[in-house]
Amino acid sequence: MTPAALLETAVLLGLFVLAGGGYGGLYSIGRIAARPALVRAGYVCWMVALAIALTITLATPLGVGWKLLILASALVYAVIPPMTWRFLERTHTDEGLGA
Amino acid sequence: MTNENGDTARAGLGGDLADPIFWRAGAISTTVVMLIILAFLTADSYRYISVGGINVPKYDVINQHIGYQFDWSRHADVPVIGSSEPLFGNTVTEAQAAELIRKGKLVIQSRACMDCHTFFGNGAYYGPDLTKSWLDPAWEQIWIPMTGKATREDAMVEFLMHPDQYPTWNRRMPNLHLTEDEAHATVAYLKWMSAIDTNGFPANFGPAGKQP
Amino acid sequence: MYRSQKLSLRYYTAAVTLFGVMILFGLLSALYYLYPSMLFNVFNFSTSKILHIDTLVLWLLMAFLGAVYWYLPKELEHEVVGMWLAELTFWVFCAVIAVVAVVFIFVQYGPANDFTLWFINQGRKYVEAPRWATIGVVAVMLAFAYNVIATCVKARKMTGIMWVLALDLIPLVVVYLDAFSYDRNMSTDLYWWWWLVHMWVESTWEVLIGCIMALVLMDVMGTSRRIVEAWLYIEVMLVLGAGILGLGHHYFWIGTPQYWLSIGGFFSALEPLPLLGMVVHAIYDAGSHRLKTTNRPAFFWITTEAFLNFIGAGIWGFMMTLPQINLFTHGTQWTVSHGHFAFYGAYVCGVIAVFYVAKQKTSRAGMLDGRAWKWSYALLNIGMVGMVMGLLLAGMAQAFFGRAIGGSTLMAFTTASENPWFVSGMYARMLFGLLFAAGYVVLVYDLLTSPKRVATLAMQPEPA
Repeated sequence: MTPAALLETAVLLGLFVLAGGGYGGLYSIGRIAARPALVRAGYVCWMVALAIALTITLATPLGVGWKLLILASALVYAVIPPMTWRFLERTHTDEGLGA
Repeated sequence: MTNENGDTARAGLGGDLADPIFWRAGAISTTVVMLIILAFLTADSYRYISVGGINVPKYDVINQHIGYQFDWSRHADVPVIGSSEPLFGNTVTEAQAAELIRKGKLVIQSRACMDCHTFFGNGAYYGPDLTKSWLDPAWEQIWIPMTGKATREDAMVEFLMHPDQYPTWNRRMPNLHLTEDEAHATVAYLKWMSAIDTNGFPANFGPAGKQP
Repeated sequence: MYRSQKLSLRYYTAAVTLFGVMILFGLLSALYYLYPSMLFNVFNFSTSKILHIDTLVLWLLMAFLGAVYWYLPKELEHEVVGMWLAELTFWVFCAVIAVVAVVFIFVQYGPANDFTLWFINQGRKYVEAPRWATIGVVAVMLAFAYNVIATCVKARKMTGIMWVLALDLIPLVVVYLDAFSYDRNMSTDLYWWWWLVHMWVESTWEVLIGCIMALVLMDVMGTSRRIVEAWLYIEVMLVLGAGILGLGHHYFWIGTPQYWLSIGGFFSALEPLPLLGMVVHAIYDAGSHRLKTTNRPAFFWITTEAFLNFIGAGIWGFMMTLPQINLFTHGTQWTVSHGHFAFYGAYVCGVIAVFYVAKQKTSRAGMLDGRAWKWSYALLNIGMVGMVMGLLLAGMAQAFFGRAIGGSTLMAFTTASENPWFVSGMYARMLFGLLFAAGYVVLVYDLLTSPKRVATLAMQPEPA
């Protein structure tokens, strides 16, 4: 790995998780505040995360296994916020508490 | 079905997923499985990390020349144990080497070296990493001339005993009052440690280590 | 107020004091990078660093103990059993810390023999305290475990949260026994040392703070027990599911077999995922309970914990955890950046929330709000983020120039340390460290002063 590739790859990895977090954050704020525009912005964030994952796959010297792991992570990031949200709504509704 | 809290689970998937008992089972089983795997991996790792194991040579390796070369099959730098090169000109037995290493480790702990330096990258980051310090070109390039000693190990002993007299750069090593015996033992420790296979850490270490 | 809650306040006072000591020695340690000749041969960087990182561990531990003593009697509806022992061991703990600190400051180190290990300095990171003090800490923790378990037995009541807490105490105490270790083989030494360090801050402490947060959520936001318990079990499952073998991300370079690069990297890469779930959960709670909290500072600090835990531990960790990257970043200021951010996000934010819960109870404020907490919140968060960014800059310079280009020799280390980016990062760290320290001062002021009586129309019943 060249020194430049080291920094580029590390920054891309950090941005990948940041984009995933941005998706989770915007999606959740959009849902709780009933603002569909924010939810859509969240989806855009996830697409950015996917784009970063693809960049990592195509343009960094990481091994094949790690690239597959990151691509798989991108897919998992996609489902975590809506799945978590559904679970939260269901458990709070069961308790008689509305959002 | 009523759980221990007296709640009645509702029929259907949603009700089960909201039940803490379901997740408690998940927490317990996951933890147990992971701990069992960790136990097996620990037992296996000991074949590598115990003295005389696959990655950690016996203490009397300090009688040999130690190098560090890139191994293409592993894509990493690996230690290379060479021909006879006794430390301080004395060939030591395994037991004598073990005693030197014991003392060296006591020095490292008693002076809290790990709170300025790193060992395999672990410790503090004020001073340089010491994993391959035995192989550092600076001993030949700087300290042998500066201390006027004939060999690397003698220069190292002199430095360790009076680091404040041989400044590194503006960040200097303080004097920790090592005795000569303690300094000898520390040098032995550093030489032994440089022979450990660390999966290539640190990478691309300086030119001296690469000489056969 | 239960007797153990009065003890909690003493633990919190000690914790906040040690937090201040930690910051003091943090500032001093940072200053050496800018003025390296300072106190040369009188008070070395290593001594300052020891005091900084050991007080970090101790102040958080004391805050955890305080939080458990606070909630234990409420959970089990029974005064804590063995309070005389708990009160005694608190003072023992304080005395041990004080003596160890004095010896660190005035004696600092000793000759290479057992006497030094027993009475002066053991020299293993985070657990430098001499063996006699280690015995003291074990005694304190065993007494604490006795208090918890005996109360559970006497109360004839257990809750899910208490089960998790009680079971978590076993590995918490057992792995601490590594603090006694003297092992001449650095590989095996570090192998087990990581069981202590990782299994504390990335496993048992995470479970412990999870239990405490569950109790705080029920208290501050009125969340139902069933929900927090389900979440606690999910968190334990995910955090330990990733974290136990995530221990392997410390086993890349210490002489361990190569398969740890794959195992450690893989499980470590999974660690951000549960943290994302926590962010979603925090936003849900913030949104749905916003009007129902009577303790705004606690509420803000709990919500912040989820975010900064994700960023500090998740993002920063992920940047440097893959072995091909870690080979160059390991043991640089990049690590320092991650460490500061992760500890702050995962533990400090939650602990400050706990302090505010106690403040509300002791001041009998129906609604806790004010101006001072907002200042301390801003200063502490901005200070921490600034420090972390400065350290990241320095760490990137160090990994790039010192490791990747320079090859990790002494000359490479020197070159990297004199690189303008590195130096700028160190100045930035110092500046933001001062902001952080200011935030601490305001925090202490706020915790000590009585809140103004805030009259509210829709006042919630005082939390139990």
